[in-house]
Amino acid sequence: MSDLKREAWLLGRSRAALAALLLLFLCAGAGVALGLATVSRDRAAIDRMLAGQPAEESALAAFVDDAGYGAYYGFQPTWNPPSDLAFAALGNRDIAPTMLRIRALALEGQIYENEAANPELALPGRFDLAFVVVYLAPLVLIALLHDLWSGEREAGRLYALQATPAARRHIWGPRIVVRAGGVLAVLLVPFAVGAAITGTSPLRALAFAGIIVLACLFWTAVALLVARRGNSSAVNAASLAALWFALTLVAPAAAGLAINAGVTVPDGAALARENREDVHAGWDRPRDATMQRFLALYPQHAPGSALPPTFHWKWYFAFQHLGDLHVASASKAYRDGIARRADLARAAGWLLPPAGLSQAMARLARTDVAAQLAYQQRIRAYHTRLREFYYDYLFSEKPFGPADLATVPRFDPAGGM
Amino acid sequence: MPTPPLFIADLVVERGDKRIVDGLSLSLAPGEIYALLGGNGAGKSTTLFAILGFLERQGGSLTVGGVDVAANPDAVRRQVAYLPENVALYDHLTARENVDYFLKVAGCPRSRADVDAGFEGVGLAAAAWDERAARFSKGMRQKTAIALALLRETPLMLLDEPTSGLDPAAAGDFHRLLETLGRRGVAVLMVTHDLLGAADTADRIGLIQAGRIAREWTASPTVPRFDLNALHSGFASAR
Amino acid sequence: MTQMIAIAAAELRLMLRSRLALIGLAALLLLSGIAAVTSAVQTASASATRAAAQAATDEQFKTQPSRHPHRMVHYGTYALRPVGPLAAFDPGVDSFTGTVLFLEGHRQNSATFGAARESSDLVRFGQLTPAFVLQTLAPLLLVFLGFATVARERERGSLRALSAHGASAASILGGKVLALGGVALLAMAPALMALAWAALRHPGEGGIATLIALAYGVYLLVWVIGITAISALARTSQGALVTLLAIWAIVVVLVPRAAAGWAGVAEPLPSRVDTEFAIAADLRRMGDSHNPDDPHFAAFKQRILKQYGVATVDELPVNYRGLVGAEGERLTSELFALYAARADAIQLGQSARLETLGVLSPALAVRRASMVGAATDVATHLAFMNRAEAYRYQLIQRLNGLQVTQVSSADDRARSRDPLADQRTRISADFWKTMPQFQLAPSAPATRAAAMLPAMALLAFWLAIGVGLLWLARRNLDQTAA
Repeated sequence: MSDLKREAWLLGRSRAALAALLLLFLCAGAGVALGLATVSRDRAAIDRMLAGQPAEESALAAFVDDAGYGAYYGFQPTWNPPSDLAFAALGNRDIAPTMLRIRALALEGQIYENEAANPELALPGRFDLAFVVVYLAPLVLIALLHDLWSGEREAGRLYALQATPAARRHIWGPRIVVRAGGVLAVLLVPFAVGAAITGTSPLRALAFAGIIVLACLFWTAVALLVARRGNSSAVNAASLAALWFALTLVAPAAAGLAINAGVTVPDGAALARENREDVHAGWDRPRDATMQRFLALYPQHAPGSALPPTFHWKWYFAFQHLGDLHVASASKAYRDGIARRADLARAAGWLLPPAGLSQAMARLARTDVAAQLAYQQRIRAYHTRLREFYYDYLFSEKPFGPADLATVPRFDPAGGM
Repeated sequence: MPTPPLFIADLVVERGDKRIVDGLSLSLAPGEIYALLGGNGAGKSTTLFAILGFLERQGGSLTVGGVDVAANPDAVRRQVAYLPENVALYDHLTARENVDYFLKVAGCPRSRADVDAGFEGVGLAAAAWDERAARFSKGMRQKTAIALALLRETPLMLLDEPTSGLDPAAAGDFHRLLETLGRRGVAVLMVTHDLLGAADTADRIGLIQAGRIAREWTASPTVPRFDLNALHSGFASAR
Repeated sequence: MTQMIAIAAAELRLMLRSRLALIGLAALLLLSGIAAVTSAVQTASASATRAAAQAATDEQFKTQPSRHPHRMVHYGTYALRPVGPLAAFDPGVDSFTGTVLFLEGHRQNSATFGAARESSDLVRFGQLTPAFVLQTLAPLLLVFLGFATVARERERGSLRALSAHGASAASILGGKVLALGGVALLAMAPALMALAWAALRHPGEGGIATLIALAYGVYLLVWVIGITAISALARTSQGALVTLLAIWAIVVVLVPRAAAGWAGVAEPLPSRVDTEFAIAADLRRMGDSHNPDDPHFAAFKQRILKQYGVATVDELPVNYRGLVGAEGERLTSELFALYAARADAIQLGQSARLETLGVLSPALAVRRASMVGAATDVATHLAFMNRAEAYRYQLIQRLNGLQVTQVSSADDRARSRDPLADQRTRISADFWKTMPQFQLAPSAPATRAAAMLPAMALLAFWLAIGVGLLWLARRNLDQTAA
């Protein structure tokens, strides 16, 4: 303990080391603060959407006299609330929407909508705690550890230190612990504050802190392996910076490039267009054939399926759904392509610890690509409930009025799949 | 007979494929001051490094206070204070902070009064005690480091060229200090080029040549303690 | 001058003999080459895909069968954002925006399908493009190659020797800058070749490409000068390296992200739902076409009746439903334009904040200059969205016009009850062929060049700072030599 205190004191006497730790602390604090601000903005936007929904529904109630109108005009909110760790790893929440209002029309024309966002802000990447952990903390660790031995040798103190009893246990060990621990502390303190403000579940907070510890351990080990090799401080610093640079900047970007080149995702625009073609061709297709195909999927609605000679909503919503089915396999291929890319990226994460750790953080915070795909699946499941709710009215000719709007199934962000 | 503070017999140390120390034997009694002289590359510093356990020995035996350095280097280092040739301190710390730090590293913290006494003992001007080491002259650094070594209060002290770079007055002070140490029972092994200084202080002088003690002189109880002419010619023939 | 060249030559010789320097340079050139080729291939394929998709969607629109014009209003069409002429060099925000916009009546959709949403999480680590290589990787290579350029001489004492032989501080520093600048030029080569290749394929882009190259040239020169100055000012090469690495991390990695995070929080953009709700509420206030007693539409009706000099809607020579549709479209589109203008102002304001922060980081300034020049910045995307919205309005109103003039009022009213009337409301498929097509020409190079000016001025400011630092280093060297 006294060894640690002594080394902490020595570290505290180095102005450069203190400045580096302070800068890292400020960055981690700013990352957490920006993360909290972003998350609370996301929550506020969701709350505004939910608070605004009654006004939309009362406007609809003023003229709805048919289930078809309710289904056609009744947009329903869906949303993907930020998890209790999202503040620390914002992940992809800025480039994939976290709110979407949908209606019972063909879903493929609705589900790919984007949120309003300035792409120039997404371009450089997020400034959150995960960024500070993956990018900046390693640099500070490198700065503090690269000349652990070489610095003493170059200053001529190495032999004097080595000549003391149990130097490894009394000097180098505590020195490493103090320096790596200092970096860890300036990362974990802001994280703990953020977690306390958010009310993160202790177990999840602990798991996230574990990833931060792993990141620091990894870079500490790398820095020590290089520092031990007996080269000069400048060579150590250059080698470590080059390693950081290769592992954090170049290799993940190259891996992303290779994965995108290796796994082709079907053209989404063609998919959406094909959906539109099929839905609109529905107007001109023989109506009986449309209903037969639909009833094969929903035989329970056969009794009420007779069509008047003029327009009827049940026919309209039947061909809307058939339009979705028409591109179902293409849509699945599109999702699978993205999921495959995400899987490969995860595999690459095992080889590229910075990418792996960053993905692990986003995964735990449910802000990664997988979480976005899961949200889309929840939207799909909800869309099915919404459609089927209206089918019951349309095919049974049950009257539908303003009061029935209140019984429309609601989206459950927690799952409800 | 008590265990000698330093006992070396037939020591062999190789660096790479070169045999630097080759059959060196040397034993120090408590309070004895031994000066090891020799040309560049004769094996003086290598011997010190072998005692400290920085270098492995390929043959012979080497114990400090009866402890084999190969078996337990830490137990050895606890009994040894080592003063490197180019004393380097932490420039951003004061003399006192440096000494405090190194003493704590060595596991033997001392009180402020002790440190003051140590500085006084080595003749470091009081104004420098709380001054940053960055501004120190070589002599001041040396004195700080010697104070540090003395404050360790170990039975054995290893000094590597302790008076190089010191002005004659400071070197003289230093030799008086060594005599005090000797009287306190501390055994001192110093590696030096300073023939006169050695002759002034040492109880024995060894001339190291090709990795072993080629000749040895013992101080006589009367003045002059050594025959300077013999030392000079011995030293000259060794080169 | 000869002194300077001799010093530069000696420095270059040292780099040539250093295995590490050669490996670093070779690695950068290789990365740069890979980035240039993959970026060119990807851009060419994206460009071809989008052009083909635009042609296909136009063709589909034209070949729709005879139908009621309002069905075409909902059938709609797609606008695809063309790939910018220099996007192969700097794709900018292309991946982070949707590229396809569905245009239909009464609704304003968002652009969908962008590369970033279709990629793994690795996309956030940056995209390996020629611009990324120049903005991010090249400065770091220069740091590695140049941190010891003067510090090494000082440590070895050869700096004194050089002075003793009559080399002035200015010629020592000048020689070092010359040598490192030569390396920077070499490091830029593959990326500049990519730029030249893109410019050659698009006539008229040569001038703006030269300006972009100039921006990168100044940016790397700032690094070269800064590295040399800090190497001369630092006491040890280790100190120089650590300082330069810290500067690189702050300028290239930290500030751009922090700036973006700050801009987003300081000037928040309303969500899509916020805008939809606000527009819906405004529309309810202005006029509700579903409500027969709505004051706005009652007044509209009176105006039309007066215009045609008739007493009832049935006496109108035109289809009143079509007129109401057109009026409704006019109202909604006005609101779309109003809210889009507000959102655009916020986004451009956010980007302006980033541009201003170029004072803290030349990397931000050069990124800005590069994206603006390559027409891959957010303003270009917004121009596409606005152009597409204008086109949407024009198309929908022409379809509404067809309903007014080509569909009989009586049939239109009866079509939901009478299949034969419904049949008669279907107008000839030939009308679809007369509709305009969506086209978007890239903004003129001169416009882009003018928009690059603030960023270029910031780069000049950084160059001045670099020169000032070098002047300090010169004074410092003169003093130590004295």
